[in-house]
Amino acid sequence: MSGRVHTKTIPPHERVSSFAPYVSNLDDRLAVYEASRCLMCFDAPCISACPAGINIPEFIYRIKTGNFYGAAKVIRESNILGGECGYVCPVERLCESKCVRRNLNEEPVAISMLQRFAYEKEKLKGLVKFPKSRSKNKKVAVVGAGPAGLSAAYELARMGYGVTVFDANPKPGGLLLYGILPWKAPWSVPESEIDLIKEYGINFVTNKKITDLKSLLKEYDAVFVGIGATKSQKLGIPGEDLNGVYPAQEFLQSVAKWLMGEGKAPDLKGKRVAVIGGGDTAIDAACASVRLGAERVYIVYRRSFAEMPAVPYGRNQAREEGVEFLLLTAPVRILGEKSVEAIECVKMELTEPDSSGRRGVKPIKGSEFRLDVNSVIVAIGQKPDEELLKSYGVKTEKGLIVVDENFSTSIKGIFAGGDAVNGGETVVEAVAEGKKAAAAIDKFLSGGKSPKK
Amino acid sequence: MVSKPDISVKFCNLELESPYLLSSAPPTCTGEMIMRAFEAGWAGAVTKTIKPDKTPVYDLKNRFGVMGFETKQMILFENIEEVSKRPVGTWVNEIKEIKRKFPEKALIGSIMAECKEEDWEELARVVSEAGVDMLELNFGCPHGMPERGMGAFIGQRTELIQKLTKAAKRGSSVPVMVKLTPNVTDIAFTAKAAEEAGADAISAINTVLGLIGINIDTFEPIPTVDGMSTFGGLSGPGVKPIGLRCVAQIAQATNIPVSGIGGITTWKDAVEYLLVGAGSVQVCTAVMWRGYRIISDFVDGLTNYLADKGFSSVQEIIGKTLPRLTAWSKLNKDYTVVASINKDLCIKCGLCYVACRDGGYQAIKFEQGKSAEVDEEKCDACSLCTHLCPVPGCITWKKVTK
Repeated sequence: MSGRVHTKTIPPHERVSSFAPYVSNLDDRLAVYEASRCLMCFDAPCISACPAGINIPEFIYRIKTGNFYGAAKVIRESNILGGECGYVCPVERLCESKCVRRNLNEEPVAISMLQRFAYEKEKLKGLVKFPKSRSKNKKVAVVGAGPAGLSAAYELARMGYGVTVFDANPKPGGLLLYGILPWKAPWSVPESEIDLIKEYGINFVTNKKITDLKSLLKEYDAVFVGIGATKSQKLGIPGEDLNGVYPAQEFLQSVAKWLMGEGKAPDLKGKRVAVIGGGDTAIDAACASVRLGAERVYIVYRRSFAEMPAVPYGRNQAREEGVEFLLLTAPVRILGEKSVEAIECVKMELTEPDSSGRRGVKPIKGSEFRLDVNSVIVAIGQKPDEELLKSYGVKTEKGLIVVDENFSTSIKGIFAGGDAVNGGETVVEAVAEGKKAAAAIDKFLSGGKSPKK
Repeated sequence: MVSKPDISVKFCNLELESPYLLSSAPPTCTGEMIMRAFEAGWAGAVTKTIKPDKTPVYDLKNRFGVMGFETKQMILFENIEEVSKRPVGTWVNEIKEIKRKFPEKALIGSIMAECKEEDWEELARVVSEAGVDMLELNFGCPHGMPERGMGAFIGQRTELIQKLTKAAKRGSSVPVMVKLTPNVTDIAFTAKAAEEAGADAISAINTVLGLIGINIDTFEPIPTVDGMSTFGGLSGPGVKPIGLRCVAQIAQATNIPVSGIGGITTWKDAVEYLLVGAGSVQVCTAVMWRGYRIISDFVDGLTNYLADKGFSSVQEIIGKTLPRLTAWSKLNKDYTVVASINKDLCIKCGLCYVACRDGGYQAIKFEQGKSAEVDEEKCDACSLCTHLCPVPGCITWKKVTK
C-alpha cells in the first residue's frame, strides 16, 4: 500500500497575482512512484470512463518502466489533445472516479498528473507523429478550430482527406485558447498540439466566420461543424442588461484576449463581484475575477455543494483564493440605475429528490436579501451561437444541433459534434466526438464501407 | 498477565541475552563501533575479519551497489569490500577493551589468512588469546580474497576447509565457528566437512556472488571503479530465501549449532531463521541501512511474537519448522485444494484473471465491474492468483475431495 503523490502548489495569496499555472508537475522520481501505484487492472474501468478511451494502465506502466516517450505515444494514439486533457480533464468525475485503488480505500492513481508528465516528456523530444494514409482526393471542411474540430480535422487528415479548418478567431484553438485561462493549462500546451495537427497538412483559415454551410458543400465533399457553445445562457431576470453584468463565456473570452494583448479585460479592480452558477465555468469566472483584482467575489448557487456540478478540485481552488460561496441562494433581480448596485437574492430550500434522484429547490418565502455588488457574471450554462445556427439551416432542438448516431445533421454531408451538439461537455468529450464523427464522415465518403476504426 | 518470554539463547559456549549478533562487516569495523552497538542492545558481534599484517588489503572506491524494485530503494545490496585493513595489534588491544567494558556481551573474532596452516594456527592463537569468546573462520568472502586463495576459495574446497579448520582449532583457546559460502553446489557437503574437522559451529551464509547491475547509459558495471567492476557479494532482503535454504540444509545435515545469516531485516526474518534451525542470527545490511538502533524492535518484536504465540522461551521455536522440510517426492500427492475468491473482498481489478489466463490454467472468469470467479473444474491450485491479488485474504484455499 502506498499513498498518492501530492504536488507542490503556489500558495493562494501568491498565485492570484498572476494568471500563470500554480500547480507544479511531477518530477521523474515522483512520476515513477505514482505510476507504481497503478494496479494495471484488466479491462480497466478507468479506460471505460475516459471518453477518448486512452489505454491508461498501459501508458502508466510505461512511465513505471522509465519509457516516458512510449507513454506519450499511448496517450497520443487515442487523444490528439492528450497534453491539454492532462491539464484540464475533470478527472475526478472521469477516469480517477473509477480507479480500482478506491476499492482498497485508497486515493485513486493521479492519472492526470501522470498524463501531464508524459506530455512534458514528449515535448522535450517532439510530439509523437503517426503515419498518414495515402491521399484520398476528397476534401472536407471543418468549421470551428476548437477541440471537436481539431480532433475531426486530425483524424480525417490522417485518413488521407484534404482538410481545411475555418475559425472566426485570429488563432485556431477555440475554447482551448479563448476559454481556458492559463492557470489551468499554459497556452503553450494546446499551441504545441495544434502545431502537431498542422504537420498533417491541414489548411487553417482563421479570422473567417463561416455563415453559409451549403455553399461550403459545393466546394467540399463533406463538412464538420464544431462551433462549440460560445454564448452564455441568460438568467431571465430584471436588470440583466445593466452595465456591469457579464455573460461568463464572453467574460472569459475577453480576459483571454486581453492576456493575448487584444482589447481590455473587464475592470474589476476593487469591485464586488457575484458569479451566478455552480459549474466549472462559474469557478473559472470567479477565480479570474480574483486575479483581475476584485475586492470580494461571491459564487451564488441555488443548490448545495452536494448538487454542485463543479469538480471539488476547482471548488477548493476558489475557496483557497478567497471566493465566498452563497449556497441555496438564487438571484431575483439585479438592482441599479445604469450600472449594477446590488442583487436581490432569495434563500432556497432543497425539495425531495425527483424520480431522477436529483433534488429540486424552492424559494423560502420572505428570505429575500440584498447583496451589494458592482458586477455580476452569469455562468448558468452555455449554448451555441443561435444566429449562426439559424443561418446554417440545420435542424436544432433546444438551441443545439441535432445529429443522428453517425453525427450527421439534418443536411446530408454536414456533420457536427462537440459542445454545439452536446451543449457543453468536456474537452475530452469533444475530442471523442470529433474522432467518431471523422470515422462517420469517412464511411459516408467511401460509399458506406465501414470505417477503419 | 503472562510472564515475558525469555529470548536469551545458549549458542555453543555463548550465553546470549538475545539471538541477535552483528555479523562480520562494516558495522563491526572498530572497537568503538562495536561498543556503540552493544550500548544499543546487540547481544554480540563478530569483528570485521582480521587478517595477518603481512597480507595486503585495499578498499576500492567505490565498492557498493544496490538493486531496488518499484518503490523499494533496496532489495539487494552488493559489496566488493575486502576484510579489515587494521593491524592485528590494534584489534588485540580493542578486543581487550571491549571485553573489559562489556564482559556480558559475546565477542567473536573473525579471522582469515592465506592457505597456510601455520598462518591460521598463529592468527587463531593471537586473536583467541586477546579475549574473544569464539572465533569465526571466514571461508566465505566471494570477491577479491578468493583471487588470492582466501575466503570462498577455501569454502569451495572441502580439503582446505578441513585442513584450515583443524589448524585454527589447534591455535585457538576458544570454540571455533566456520562461516560458509553459499556459492557451492551443496552447502550441506561443505558444512559436514567442517563438522568432521572439529568445527564447533557453522555460520551461513556469506554473500552470494553476483553482479548487481549495469548502468545502461554509460555501459559501466556497478559498483564502478574507474569505469570497471568485478563480481561482488550480494546481501539484503533478496538473499533471505537462499540463506534460509542453506541454514535448513546445514541444520538437517550436521549436529552442531548454526548461526543464521542472510537478508535478516526485521524480527520476522529472524524468526524464520530460528524456525529452520538457526541457534543465533547475524545482521549486517539492515544495520548499514538504518543503524544499530533497529535492535530495539528486533528484541521487542520477537518478545511480543513469542508471547502472542504462547511460547515462554525462544528456544522452543528453534528448528520448529525443520521436520516440515522434506524431499519433493515425499510430499502428499493426494492433497487437493482449489482457489476460492471472496466476493465481498474482491476489488474487481481482474489481475487474477490475467494471471490465470496467461500464466496458469484459464480457470478464472472475470467481467468488468464484477467479482472474479473460479472455475473449480479447471483450477489446478498452482496458487499464482493468491500471491498477486492485491487484497490480503481475498483468495484462499478450499479443500475438495476428488
